[in-house]
Amino acid sequence: MTLAETFSFLPYGKYAFYIWFSYLTAFVVIGGLFIRTKTIHNNTFKQLRLKYSRN
Amino acid sequence: MWKWIQAFASPKNFYSISHKIIPWFLYPFILITLVGLYWGLIIAPADYQQGESYRIMYIHVPAAWMSMFVYVVMAISGGIGLIWQIKLANVVAKVSAPIGASFTFLALVTGAVWGKPMWGTWWVWDARLTSELILLFLYLAYMSLNNAFDNPKTAAKASSILAIVGLVNIPIIHYSVTWWNTLHQGASVSSIEKIAQPAIHSDMLMPLVLMGISFKLLYGALMLMRARDEVLIQEQNSGWVKKIIMESGK
Repeated sequence: MTLAETFSFLPYGKYAFYIWFSYLTAFVVIGGLFIRTKTIHNNTFKQLRLKYSRN
Repeated sequence: MWKWIQAFASPKNFYSISHKIIPWFLYPFILITLVGLYWGLIIAPADYQQGESYRIMYIHVPAAWMSMFVYVVMAISGGIGLIWQIKLANVVAKVSAPIGASFTFLALVTGAVWGKPMWGTWWVWDARLTSELILLFLYLAYMSLNNAFDNPKTAAKASSILAIVGLVNIPIIHYSVTWWNTLHQGASVSSIEKIAQPAIHSDMLMPLVLMGISFKLLYGALMLMRARDEVLIQEQNSGWVKKIIMESGK
């Protein structure tokens, strides 16, 4: 059984794996960009707060 | 106009103005993405040749457009920073690089996933795919070079020169399907004539346009969010930054 056939129960039949994998990748990449942006924001504030509290 | 640009380009003004602008990118992005996905995945009919597989286009094509768009923004901002020494331009170039690299990665992965059922292979060394891969390497090189220097001015200068030199790859990506005999299909909507008379049906074209707009809004929101933090880092010795940081901890 091929990878495409395994996922053929999903909408879009034999192309289901390819379509949903693409959208999942997009979701992960875009979600990752937002999470990384939030992490940078938190780290920036944390580091600067630490710097100013030392001075 | 020039005075308004100069005022906006001041890090302090940018920090306060961008805070008000971000929601105007973020909320339309969510709304347009939902409409675009619904239209592209549910309403749009199957293609007569490619069947359902063409629906990958609604991620692949906007990601590919953005990979080039963000690079052009990055190179122009780098150039402005290099010539007019505008700090904010360097900030925009620096924060755009990882976003552009992510779009390029997404275009390459979704292209490979689309290629497998259509071409029978995940990858071919054809002009379009290879030049897009070079674009990803250019983004990675830009980020590496920018992080290689302790002095932000030297880092901005060196990486901006690289970005400007790499700009030559953009027309190569765009025209690769015209200049060379490639496995990758030609442009369907990206030229003026094709916009007037697109090669695809409006029910398939509209979600593509919507997803193209949504990816641009996404870039706008992410770029502004990251630029705000980068401005704080670069201006950390200014009184206004100290005030913002200390007040945020209360």
